[in-house]
Amino acid sequence: MKFWEYLLKIDRRVVFLVVGLSVLIPLIFPFYIKTNVMPTTQKLFDTIEEIDPGAQGILIAADYDPQTMPELQPMFIVLLRHSFARRIPVLVMSSYMQGIGLAKQGLDQVAEEFNSRAKTNADSIIYGRDYVFLGFPPLWLAAVLRMGSDISQAFPADYYKNRTASLEMMKRIKNYNDIGIVVSIAGSGIPQSWVTYANTRFGVKVGSGATAVMAPDFYPFLQTGQMSGMIAGLKGASEYEYLVNTKYNLPGPTPATKGMGSQSIAHLTILLLVVIGNIGYFASRRRR
Amino acid sequence: MQRKLPLMIVLVIGIAMLIQFFIPHKFSKDLYMNFLDWLGIIAAFALVLGLGSLINHHLDKIQRKRENWQYSWVTLIAIVITAIIGLFGGMEGKGPLPVQPQFILGNKLIVIKYSIQTIYDNVMTPLGGTMFALLAFFMASAAYRAFRARTFEATLLLVAAFIVMIGVVPIGYYISPKLPHLAQWIMDVPNTASKRGILFGVGLGIAATSLKIILGIERNWLGGK
Repeated sequence: MKFWEYLLKIDRRVVFLVVGLSVLIPLIFPFYIKTNVMPTTQKLFDTIEEIDPGAQGILIAADYDPQTMPELQPMFIVLLRHSFARRIPVLVMSSYMQGIGLAKQGLDQVAEEFNSRAKTNADSIIYGRDYVFLGFPPLWLAAVLRMGSDISQAFPADYYKNRTASLEMMKRIKNYNDIGIVVSIAGSGIPQSWVTYANTRFGVKVGSGATAVMAPDFYPFLQTGQMSGMIAGLKGASEYEYLVNTKYNLPGPTPATKGMGSQSIAHLTILLLVVIGNIGYFASRRRR
Repeated sequence: MQRKLPLMIVLVIGIAMLIQFFIPHKFSKDLYMNFLDWLGIIAAFALVLGLGSLINHHLDKIQRKRENWQYSWVTLIAIVITAIIGLFGGMEGKGPLPVQPQFILGNKLIVIKYSIQTIYDNVMTPLGGTMFALLAFFMASAAYRAFRARTFEATLLLVAAFIVMIGVVPIGYYISPKLPHLAQWIMDVPNTASKRGILFGVGLGIAATSLKIILGIERNWLGGK
């Protein structure tokens, strides 16, 4: 087989091996690459910075499942860390049955991280006072619409079977008027539905955390202002980690930033494969 | 009557909900809230129907020994085990299920709880993550084989993909500080323009289909022939 033909017919297993190594090696031997913050990430960060913790809370919707967890869970974690660092009351829900397990993992992890540093009760992150986990509504659309008038009616009981209305935090967070922003983290088009039903109808600000594949779908909403910022892909999560850790000087996990080396090398490898394929294609066409 | 009654319900409620949206009166709001309650009840019934349908489908597959019928056993056994653990162990493993196995790993005591969270953490999460991770390999292989600059349009796509793929990872900034901005421009302008066009089309399509359903022109949702 001639060299040019070989470039066109690299065995699939070789491609798999090269891609696998390009992901794996930077994870085993990590290196740090400083991220440049994109405007969409900065906008979401600024919107959350503008929330008055005494007046409004944040609703984080973990609208994803384990399939997209590696890309989206770091967003959930960093948004929680940002909210807890600012002492913004946090509501968490999930439109996916499979998302509640991940949301619980994230909540437990971040609450434990903050509580391990807390010296007083006021510093601690306490369930019911600082955050509430609403769980999964059987019919998402009905819950989203109902939350416009009363969140406790949409979720009569929280994830732990407490009466939602009886929780301390819920005495001041009644409906979307008391929510500074809803951030939907999803690997699907759900953030768009939040815009349709929560932003357009009730005027609550909506932001999104999207997989890199889904992010292009939300640019029209960012441009019109119907979405107040977006974390796009693992890179967006890394940018957000940088913003939060720089502003609040928080020690702690930065899973997205750790993944940046791996993602950079994997992207370059795929591009290199495309270049090799095209060199082979043009060279063999010229020879014919 | 079997077909006319559902069509009448859809017509009346569809028009009522359209009008309700524009009337800021207490009666209108109460009506809307009632319908939201009904939606929840209907969804609960749909869940039961869905479960019944899934079980029927797999039992039928096993009985007729259709292709890959053995995997239907996996589904059915998983449904039964998950249901037992869910009903008697709950989300947190605090239910009436008996002894929870425990063993020491290194110097750590491991307790296996009979809970949905245990199934979720140890089965759902790794399986879901593995499935999605495979995508990277298939995408790389497909890009290598199919991404050829054969025509002007394909070349344009290739160049845009190159800029975006390098521009959206941190290393792109070090190759050229302009690359992330160029990638952002592609997302902000050509991408947004095309997405907006698609959104308009989809929006008009949804409005047209909804009207057709309300007016009884579109009847596929009734099922049957």
